[in-house]
Amino acid sequence: MTINKKYVVDTTLRDGEQSPGIAFTIAEKVTIAQTLDALGVSRIEAGTPAMGRDECRAFEKIKLACQQAQIIGWNRMNLSDIQQSINCGADIIHVCVPASDLLIREKLRKTKIQVLETLVACSDVIQAAQKELTIGLEDASRADWDFVTQLIETARDLGATTLRFSDTVGIMSPLLCKSAIIRIPTDIDIEVHMHNDLGMAVANSIQGLRSGAKYADSTLFGIGERAGNCNLEHLLIATQGKMDFGINLEELQWRQALLKPLIFKDDRLYA
Amino acid sequence: MVTIIDRTLTNLKTNEINSQDLNHFCDLLFNCGVTKIELTSALVSQLKSPTLAGDANMLNHPGNFFLVQAVDPEHQKIWRLEPNELLEKSLPIDNFSSFHNQKIRLIGLDDLMTQDYPSFFSNLLNSGADTFDLCPGNHNYCATAIALEWLIAGGTSVSCQFASNHDFAPLEEVLMALKLHDSTLFSGDLSVLNELRCLYEKISNDRIAQNKAIIGTDIFKVESGIHVDGVLKNPQTYEPFNPQMVGNQREIVVGKHSGRQSILYKLKEQNLSETATRNLLKQIKGRCTQLGRNLSDWELRTLASEVQNDYKQKICC
Repeated sequence: MTINKKYVVDTTLRDGEQSPGIAFTIAEKVTIAQTLDALGVSRIEAGTPAMGRDECRAFEKIKLACQQAQIIGWNRMNLSDIQQSINCGADIIHVCVPASDLLIREKLRKTKIQVLETLVACSDVIQAAQKELTIGLEDASRADWDFVTQLIETARDLGATTLRFSDTVGIMSPLLCKSAIIRIPTDIDIEVHMHNDLGMAVANSIQGLRSGAKYADSTLFGIGERAGNCNLEHLLIATQGKMDFGINLEELQWRQALLKPLIFKDDRLYA
Repeated sequence: MVTIIDRTLTNLKTNEINSQDLNHFCDLLFNCGVTKIELTSALVSQLKSPTLAGDANMLNHPGNFFLVQAVDPEHQKIWRLEPNELLEKSLPIDNFSSFHNQKIRLIGLDDLMTQDYPSFFSNLLNSGADTFDLCPGNHNYCATAIALEWLIAGGTSVSCQFASNHDFAPLEEVLMALKLHDSTLFSGDLSVLNELRCLYEKISNDRIAQNKAIIGTDIFKVESGIHVDGVLKNPQTYEPFNPQMVGNQREIVVGKHSGRQSILYKLKEQNLSETATRNLLKQIKGRCTQLGRNLSDWELRTLASEVQNDYKQKICC
């Protein structure tokens, strides 16, 4: 049987930490990042440097502490935020681009043309700093496909190496996920970012990977906004013998158990 | 409409459940959209339904029973019992030819998501069985997805378990997924799920995680500045469904990831002064990082008072 080689982007320290009831100190963030690095996680989304000085310090320490993993700085589509990530020494500058009409209209209060123009401006700063650019399509699962296509083409033209397809509110089904991912051209790496609002984050990530995605986003214990993200341990269990993420399941389980008290200071979060 | 069978009560230690809680639990299950409830015969005697059909022999049967909800001509709910007529099978894939005119429950299939499940479903649907009830196992954390895809593909029956971790598809997830993906397949009032969760915790002596999909108490708490900003402008930006739909409510909380908008909102909500907001935000982030959690409203009031008093003193000086 052929085992597909796939990769994990861990977002415990960014999306995971955004869970209400969860917050890490600088030292805790470094410990978690070192564990992920030792496990063989290929990319670690270490945080949002725009949050302030402590987040930047954590970011710099994580960068120094990790041997293998590439460190991602998460950014809004905002030049000042991006500059912070560059200054912190991130390997990858991730730019989150609201993709659905709902987010563009209600949250950003901008037009689609303005979104595309801002993205180009952000890219210029990242290219000038000679950093790797990855682009995330926020709320892609509720977006108009014509605009998604425009964003994909723009991302590719701007030299982005990876396109993150986000099911921001966790409403996709596996078949819908498959039908979306197979429509994305193969000349850019695809990453799937699935939320667990309907309890289908693992299944949707699997279908995304089976349909051509190279990366799946996940978190330790599945922590994240609302009902969380794709749980790394569960993803490994569900794909045993079918996909290889370069991570040993047993090692993950014992290392994760050691981190549990650090992640869940209030154990009611995790039953 | 599809058949939703609930197996919660046959998979719980129900020795100490009282009759009132049992009947209430069954009522809530029916209200949220379950069409059949599976019971042990020991529990049947505790049902208070005035119209239990089924004779004494049936009630003494050692197997399980389905409790079927029907509606009488005056639209009042009545309950009747029927024996469990589905034969349980854990089948190897591709072996369905011998099931013509039978009622089969398929259990397991935990790893179906990593296989060609559309073809598998198609084979099942063309097998000639009278009923295929799918009861996917959840050891690979994909049971909800398998149940949903089965029903959308044309399957007519699934078995679930409320708040299930590993055994079967979590009932609440399957119902919400159906409601959002094909509401024509299902009718039920999901606003009873909060009450159902409380009762489940009581009768099972089990605690449901605060971030459990659909029924977790904390799933509509919003902390991060970006999300609070979006939710305050329009809740649909970062909510998959309205909290009231599951008997829950939205709450803005302050923590390490809060932004200025969150603080202003909370200060206004608590009738607190908006002076020194920037300094307060900095203090909140520091305190929450130290505590490893967000602040309660009481803690926020105390901190706001400290910061604002300090701010006034500095101005006076």
